[in-house]
Amino acid sequence: MLSSRIILTTTLLIVTGILSGIAQTAFARDETALVIYSGRSDKFVKPVIKLFSEKTGIKVILHTAKSTALLNKLRAEGPRTEADLYLSNDAGNLQIGADMGLFKAIPENIANVIPKNLRAPDNSWIGLSARSRVLVINTKSKNTHFIKSVFDLADPRLKGRLGITHSSNESFIAGTAVYLESKGEAKTRDWLEGINNNSDGEAFNKHSKIVAAVAKGRKDVGLVNHYYIYRHLDKSPDSPIRIVIPDQSPDSIGVAWNVAGIAISKYSKKVPQAQKLVEFLISTEGQKLFAQLNREYPTRKDAATAAEIAPLSTIKVADVPMSSLGRLRNKTLDMIEAVGLP
Amino acid sequence: MLRPRLNIQGSLSGMVVLLAAIPLLFVMLNSVQLPLDKWLGLWNTRLPSLFWNTLLLAALVVIGCFILGVSSAWLIARRQFRGRSVALWLMILPLAIPTYVFAYIYTSLMDVDGWLGSLWITLFGNAASIPDLYNVGGVALILALSGFPYVFLLTHSALLNSNPHMEEAARIHGASSREIFWRITAPLIRPAIAASLAMVTLHVLSDFGAVSMLRYQTFTLSIYLQMNGRFDYQSAAALSSILVMLALTFLVLERFFRSRQRYFSANQAKTWRIKHASKKELWIIWSWLGLISLFAFILPLAWMLTWSFEAVIAQTLGSEFWGYALNSLVIAIIAATVCIVAALPIGLFHTRFRSWLSNLFLQMSSTGFVLPGPVVALGVMTFFLTTLPALYGTLAALTIALVIRFLPLAVQSQEAALSQLTPSIEQASRVHGAGPLETLWRITLPMMRNGMVAAWVLVFIDALKELPATLLLRPIGFDTLPVRIWIEASEEMLEVAAPAALMLVISTIPALWIMLRSTRQST
Repeated sequence: MLSSRIILTTTLLIVTGILSGIAQTAFARDETALVIYSGRSDKFVKPVIKLFSEKTGIKVILHTAKSTALLNKLRAEGPRTEADLYLSNDAGNLQIGADMGLFKAIPENIANVIPKNLRAPDNSWIGLSARSRVLVINTKSKNTHFIKSVFDLADPRLKGRLGITHSSNESFIAGTAVYLESKGEAKTRDWLEGINNNSDGEAFNKHSKIVAAVAKGRKDVGLVNHYYIYRHLDKSPDSPIRIVIPDQSPDSIGVAWNVAGIAISKYSKKVPQAQKLVEFLISTEGQKLFAQLNREYPTRKDAATAAEIAPLSTIKVADVPMSSLGRLRNKTLDMIEAVGLP
Repeated sequence: MLRPRLNIQGSLSGMVVLLAAIPLLFVMLNSVQLPLDKWLGLWNTRLPSLFWNTLLLAALVVIGCFILGVSSAWLIARRQFRGRSVALWLMILPLAIPTYVFAYIYTSLMDVDGWLGSLWITLFGNAASIPDLYNVGGVALILALSGFPYVFLLTHSALLNSNPHMEEAARIHGASSREIFWRITAPLIRPAIAASLAMVTLHVLSDFGAVSMLRYQTFTLSIYLQMNGRFDYQSAAALSSILVMLALTFLVLERFFRSRQRYFSANQAKTWRIKHASKKELWIIWSWLGLISLFAFILPLAWMLTWSFEAVIAQTLGSEFWGYALNSLVIAIIAATVCIVAALPIGLFHTRFRSWLSNLFLQMSSTGFVLPGPVVALGVMTFFLTTLPALYGTLAALTIALVIRFLPLAVQSQEAALSQLTPSIEQASRVHGAGPLETLWRITLPMMRNGMVAAWVLVFIDALKELPATLLLRPIGFDTLPVRIWIEASEEMLEVAAPAALMLVISTIPALWIMLRSTRQST
């Protein structure tokens, strides 16, 4: 009895000790590797990183989580951070990080291949790929032909026929921030109330579910990021849906836009390698792969766009610098909360 | 109540409590920096709805868990029927499924093309009337399904451990079954029910996974959004401090009502002669237990199996997947072991040297459970960054965060086990010349073995499922199964999320088996 107890207890303690030992050594990471705090889905990042490592021999570790949570971590860690780079799908987050002084500016001679409105004014972050907020409409739906603008979504004729994401979605927030900056507070509040009304207080937890609902005719119109529509068409190419790029007439604001981008941590101890990675990501080769994996628009003008999406040159984009999305974040959140969107 | 004595147990528990209080200190330091007008702003805008949302949710979950847990425990403990041990397993297996996985599975099942969603449309022909989970009812359902096994476990073991002589004596004196239940059994199992419902309530207050998946604004979600969406630590801390006060009030009340009743069982030998269920009873028992486990375990399991099967076919599971599983096991084993060792002095100090100090220690040790996981993580993170930077980013920091979060689970079960032991046996050992350590080793620990095992298993399971602290504090490149589920679920990668969830369930089974075996040996 006594001995079995001793054996059990000591085994447990020894196992724990060994595990801690193994854990500390086996899980100790390669100190030469670059660490990216990544708020973007691994499957869209890994292939590019792999190619980079093959070309340069520099190893990269992806530390993936939600963009905002990682920014929070970066801020709390300060000089102790192990992150060399920060990757986010949202320009708002990148600019907030820049305003907090978490990033190191990327030299102009590297950054200048990317248009000025798609990077921070001081180059503390650079946009890598862009996505637009477009409309997906069921081709069999009635009375949807008047929809030319995002603001038409607030039209009472669409009562119960509109699909939107939960208002916590970062693309939804960024889009709303663009409308707020282009059209002002009163108009945006009316719009939020209108779409809240038209969606019947029901919100989808995923963009892909909106596209699916529109394809099935459960909803007639949806507001989504453009690539979700192509993802749906991959699986069911005969779906009765069409894409409308909103606000394209000469007097409209242009389609809302958001970029995914990258920044170098201010406290990175491997700045040269980190810059190499940034250079690769904005090279024509890196740009093509990075953007096309998710069928986004490359931010570099001379990089190829995926064949099926509308060429950038044919689209009018809302004239809101991406760096202003950070400044607008809290105000946008307040408005969304005040209207009470789900 | 005695005057506090700072003996060895006292000083050791003091040290553990100091560690456990780190997140609370962090919250207090940050919330005092919040200017008064912001406090008033919170008070006027957010707080009323947060209070209402949180309390309503807690009340619904407690009612749900009470009904599910106590009924199933009584049926299984007091009736002998075919498949009883299967039933026992079915009632505790939901413990293996994290709340965010529950929430995720149910949103996917209730979707228009989900199993339940399409069933609904077949039955009622209307997609619009499918019940929405994004409200208090949905969240309460999820949390009740995932929380009732705690009530089941504690009530079941209280029913088995209560002394049969009392019920027999009552029966001899002519009491009816109903009278026996209300006058003998109910009072005997009341402490266990109260303790388990308290545990459920604390789980509700600090739940992050389900409320954030279902976007139901409780204190925890609101705190998380303040921290992460708006980078407003001070408001987050202020809300946390209110949540802590709410939870501590609740705990003190619960303990106050419970402290009036203590039962020492003089005789450890118990032999229950359990009634065989009649045909009719068997039918009722199995329809009720079957219904519970259909929703609490079988459906989620079937979902996981289906999607894991798809994953195997599509060959999406790489070697990384096994790495995540290994990481999860490693951290959960370390955390559980450290936790039960750390909890022991607190339980001993409180049960054997009860005083206001031991009471204070006990309450303080539960702060990690009361505070939202993201806040605990941030507190521990700040502590390590400022005072022990060398250990930041290592497994040690993560382990400490997990120990702080789950210490109360260990303390609760150890204390429950200790308070059922009459101190006279320990006193006898001391009288016969055994030292305090020898007494602990030869008398106390063996007699509270079940409590220790239960504590280890409970912490292990919760650490295995833990999400918010692991997300923030995991070493670079150290991904666990919950972390991957969280990441993949937000990308709708069912083929990756489902096998990870299934793996969590599988890893939990041996731990549950150990716990069940140890309770069975004692009866």
